[in-house]
Amino acid sequence: MSETAMELMDVKKRIGKKEIIKGLSFTINKGEIFGLIGPNGAGKTTTIRMMVGLMQLSNGDVKILGKSIKTNYKEAIREVGAIVENPEMYPFMTGAQNLAHYARMIPGISKKRVQEVVRIVGLEKAMKEKVGKYSLGMRQRLGIAQALLHKPSILILDEPTNGLDPAGIREIRMYIRRLATEQNVAVIISSHLLSEIELMCDRIGIIKNGELVALQQVNEKADQNNLNQIQMEVTPVERAIELLKAHHGIHAVQVEESLSFQSEKENIPSLVQTFVQNDVSVFQVEVTKSTLEDKFFDLIGENTIG
Amino acid sequence: MGNFTKLIYNELTKMYIRKSTWVMYILLGVIILGIGIIANMYGELEESYEQDTWREVLQKENGQLTTEMEQEEFLQGINTSLIETNNYYLENDIQPVGYGAWQFVMENEILLSLVSLLTIIVAAGIVANEFRWGTIKLILIRPITRTKILASKYIAVLFFSLFTLLFVLLFSWIIGAIFFGVESMNPSIVLEKNTGLEYVSVFGEIISGYGYQLVTLVMMATFAFMISTVFRNSALAIGTAIFLMMVGNQIVFFFIERSWAKYILFANTDLNQYTNGNTPLIEGMTMGFSVTVLIVYYAVFLLLSWVFFTKRDVAGY
Repeated sequence: MSETAMELMDVKKRIGKKEIIKGLSFTINKGEIFGLIGPNGAGKTTTIRMMVGLMQLSNGDVKILGKSIKTNYKEAIREVGAIVENPEMYPFMTGAQNLAHYARMIPGISKKRVQEVVRIVGLEKAMKEKVGKYSLGMRQRLGIAQALLHKPSILILDEPTNGLDPAGIREIRMYIRRLATEQNVAVIISSHLLSEIELMCDRIGIIKNGELVALQQVNEKADQNNLNQIQMEVTPVERAIELLKAHHGIHAVQVEESLSFQSEKENIPSLVQTFVQNDVSVFQVEVTKSTLEDKFFDLIGENTIG
Repeated sequence: MGNFTKLIYNELTKMYIRKSTWVMYILLGVIILGIGIIANMYGELEESYEQDTWREVLQKENGQLTTEMEQEEFLQGINTSLIETNNYYLENDIQPVGYGAWQFVMENEILLSLVSLLTIIVAAGIVANEFRWGTIKLILIRPITRTKILASKYIAVLFFSLFTLLFVLLFSWIIGAIFFGVESMNPSIVLEKNTGLEYVSVFGEIISGYGYQLVTLVMMATFAFMISTVFRNSALAIGTAIFLMMVGNQIVFFFIERSWAKYILFANTDLNQYTNGNTPLIEGMTMGFSVTVLIVYYAVFLLLSWVFFTKRDVAGY
């Protein structure tokens, strides 16, 4: 399971005198969905560009299934399918013509495989339409189709759910999950939608100012820590804050018309009981998982998110 | 199909799938048709000469030309040379062929500068557009070296110019055949050369006439290709290439006194200056010298394209 698909070894990028990537080292395993998050300008896209050889590394190396992107480019990139930034296609060609174009660039892609990929991303009906008429969601699907043509071992997707409707997001998410579990593909996803990453990924790396500031398993946090973020809409709010402090020792803060605090889920009935007994009206109780988002904000600071 | 052939096929597909390319061809077709119509309406061209009467016809023509000349001063130059040409036929007892498709093709040699123009536009876009569309990122993350991708693009440009050239030749011939008929498969005519009048094959004239202009075509297309690759901007490439093509000769004349003038590209693009008894632009220049200069420029253009395309990062906008 923990076979390495891609390894970054002290990857640095200097542009002029400025070091924009300051030594990234991490590995991505086969069958793993790895999320790369960070605010705009943190170096996500630069990192991805270096992974696929669009930018040269100033230092270090990227190894794909043990093959160096620097010295063995052709062999290494053969294993990679990617969308870098937006899924840009030739607007004057149809979906089918676009895919045929990319299929011709790698030996051994049959017509059957092209059809298979089209079916996977659900674009059968749009194949004869010009890409210029596609919606962003359709272009995104075509982008994924293009990346899958040659059955890569590593799939790199930059903002893959951008422009998709909720049903489309779900579909793509399920498909990516299936690729990872069934075909043991390593998937690297970059996104600024934290909830998205959390739902999709096994592990995330948070990048800030060209450095990896955190690397963590997505599920492990929920296991270790039972605290939930709880929001309650109550009146009067001031009285409720006092009550929480006095009876339960919970320090709550007021967010607009409601309370916000952390507690275990099991405590909620007794908290509500306290409020009711003390003439505080409860309108709404909302429980959110103690999330990545908070961690993300802790690490990065709320204002810098793009 | 081999791997590299497929790349070239890809490039040509992208070229010919776009409407703008077809607009170019339609434009060329309309221009050729227009020339045909005008030549047909206003040209006083004898369509054919009969075996037993051509001598009288020529003499009659000469008589008309002489009277015209006396009435209109400005016709003197052109009519004199026409009379001389007719006399050459008479003196050498060669029956002239009428004006036909082959001669029409020969006279359309000027259209080659239009082919150059279109090739420049295509060469200027072929790399820069991929950057503009953002598709360059998807092209470069394939198991193909950047050198191969660049080479396939350059060769596709050459194919485009070849196809366009063939189109001009073929379409001119067809229009010529429709309007003026085909006199013979390999006609010869008397043309005025530097060494005097000469009886030459039209076919040979077409090949040498178009051939010499191909030098400029290839050089300017390669130049546009280089600018397109280095600056990733097609408008800049089209602009500079067309500007240089138009003012190239003026640049040479502006610097003609300088010792380095003969190293200017445009002093060397016209290889015709060494043939047919023409005198070279600058004393001491030879065919060998010009060919060397051209090769050096050509190599530099390609080298710059290659260095910038293969070594530079593909960064965001």
